[in-house]
Amino acid sequence: MTVIVRTVSSWVKVLIFLFGIYIILFGHLTPGGGFAGGVILASSYVLLMLAFGRTFVEANLPRSLASRLDCLGAFVFALIAILGLVFGGTFFVNFLYQTYLPGRPFALVSGGTIPLSNMAIGVKVGASLFLVIFTLAAFRAESQEPSEGNPANQGPGQKE
Amino acid sequence: MAYALCFLLFMIGLYCAVVKKNMVKIVLGIVIMEYAVNLFLIMLGYLTGGVAPIIERSQYDAKTQTIAAEFLSASVDPLPQAMVLTSIVISLGSLALMISICIRTYAKYGTFDITEIRRLRG
Repeated sequence: MTVIVRTVSSWVKVLIFLFGIYIILFGHLTPGGGFAGGVILASSYVLLMLAFGRTFVEANLPRSLASRLDCLGAFVFALIAILGLVFGGTFFVNFLYQTYLPGRPFALVSGGTIPLSNMAIGVKVGASLFLVIFTLAAFRAESQEPSEGNPANQGPGQKE
Repeated sequence: MAYALCFLLFMIGLYCAVVKKNMVKIVLGIVIMEYAVNLFLIMLGYLTGGVAPIIERSQYDAKTQTIAAEFLSASVDPLPQAMVLTSIVISLGSLALMISICIRTYAKYGTFDITEIRRLRG
């Protein structure tokens, strides 16, 4: 991309990432939540991928790390649900809010397990959406040069 | 009337998915059908003159821990919106799957026309 796109995206990427974190953290108070914030987190990396190319982004956030974050988000979300079953007696019950953390309404720490679930979903959605777009970019790079015999492009991440 | 338009949008998507021969157009038809269903579910929870289902501080009574009655009667139903959000996530995943299948097919056969993709090449 041109130098204008590179410069502006290198400034804006931090703001987009911060806005995604804000949307995730305040998901139980304002519109938004884990999914919307995760999409915003992934879109900051997509912006980097559009401006600086795929190899730069892979050096920044490796595919194995993104895959691990993906699995970690799903695992934490299921763990919170099962902890609700263990401590509260029902699957997904909000055990923190009822017993340990009786917060005021409209405060940041007032949702019990809901902000934790939002964070897990945010990490999960951000990493998996990043992997989806990354894999599509790898497909495109592979289909553009099908018979070059480039070993770097062989076997892009088909398993997500 | 609005439900009929929703059904018309669904039928446009179904026509596109059934009749067209280009794989990308089939994917677009499926996505249009998904959006028609999403629009239908959103409109089920719609209330004429309703407000967004987000409580503000002035509408919450901290002493009795109750929500103001006029907010409860005026807000739209939040349940279809949460359902449609989940539906959008699933349609995003299926869209990525369909697009990657299209890309792989184009890389293997060099065409998007489904009538020309017949032979199995191992």
